[in-house]
Amino acid sequence: MAADIPQAQVEAIFPAVAKTIADALGCELDEVKPDASLIEDLGAESIDFLDLVFRLERAFKVKIPRGKIIEDARGDLPEAEFEQKGVITDAGLARLKQFLAEVPADRFKAPLKATDIPRLFTAETFAKLVLRARGEQAGAA
Amino acid sequence: MTGRYASFTFVDRITALEPGVAAKGSFHVPAHAGAFPSSLLAEATGQLAAWAAVAKLDFRLRPVAGIAHETIYLGAPRAGDTLETQIRIDSCEDDAVAYQGWCRIGGATVLELHDCVGPMLPLSDFDDPAAMQAFYDVLRTTGAPLDRFAGITIVPLVPLAHEPGRSASARLDVPRDAPYFADHFPRRPVFPGTLLLDRMTTLAAGVASEAAAGRQVFARRVSDVKLRAFTEPGATLTLHAAVEPGGDRAILATLEARAEGQRRAVGGARVEFEVVQ
Repeated sequence: MAADIPQAQVEAIFPAVAKTIADALGCELDEVKPDASLIEDLGAESIDFLDLVFRLERAFKVKIPRGKIIEDARGDLPEAEFEQKGVITDAGLARLKQFLAEVPADRFKAPLKATDIPRLFTAETFAKLVLRARGEQAGAA
Repeated sequence: MTGRYASFTFVDRITALEPGVAAKGSFHVPAHAGAFPSSLLAEATGQLAAWAAVAKLDFRLRPVAGIAHETIYLGAPRAGDTLETQIRIDSCEDDAVAYQGWCRIGGATVLELHDCVGPMLPLSDFDDPAAMQAFYDVLRTTGAPLDRFAGITIVPLVPLAHEPGRSASARLDVPRDAPYFADHFPRRPVFPGTLLLDRMTTLAAGVASEAAAGRQVFARRVSDVKLRAFTEPGATLTLHAAVEPGGDRAILATLEARAEGQRRAVGGARVEFEVVQ
């Protein structure tokens, strides 16, 4: 879970992740603050997320499965209890808030559509994504 | 055969295929084809990757436009050449295909495509899946008839602004009707990204040549190509090319295409021009 990642590790990797985000989105590096929403603040579109994930994989030599953030957030919660008819359940929202601890609390608004989850993702979310992928790769080795 | 699978199809035959893994193909540029922009080498290679991805995904989805992190041009095609294309797929899932590609002419590599990503969209939004499957069977067996491609009419640029040796802007009036829309795509015509890239590169080449004191330049390396939006027939785009100062042997340029009223650019890229000494 996100809370398990020491903040010092996030801060250490953040500059390199921010550079990758700036390259993928074609924005200025100083716009990429840790709590910047990639969609709301930096104008990212779905193709930018594809681009970003492939760039992170190359830059950090990790494998990031598609949909990993949401899968990890859901954890062992059955899909039907996480999302119903495209809307995140209360239990699902609680999981998301816990997993995406870096996202300011006021950005979680119910009802939350599953397709709107990427609107929550911040630059720090991707730093943690890289660290988790690294950890899992090291664990598998 | 005219129009369909003739006007913007750059695979005549798929000579080897492991769906979702790798493929080899060929395309003969007809002697009558006239101008054949170098960006169509990337188109031919990308189309081979698309066939390999579509076959892997049972003709449900197809990659459309996307991202090419690095394209290296090592030679230019001419009418009468046969392009030998080859791709290797890194991953092919329902959301995207990632691949590398090469194009050779007479055994010599003329193009390298590195780290390309094509977002997947429902095939039936763009084409008739059954017709595509039937043509795929032709490509895998007898091959399509050669010399069916009649050539491309290049859309002229309308100059808007120009700072010699530094930057230029131009308007691109996408035709409402053109033969290539029959192939790209039958159910949803879209101006091909590789033709847009050709127009942007041409605009930048003029500025780069000025920056190189009038010497000829050759687009050697194109990086960070990203197409964010579809350009419909009849659309008007504004193209902008800015050249970075300095560089005696190589000149860097940033390219961008914008549609009126859009917050983000339709597409963009960076080009390294080699100055012909």
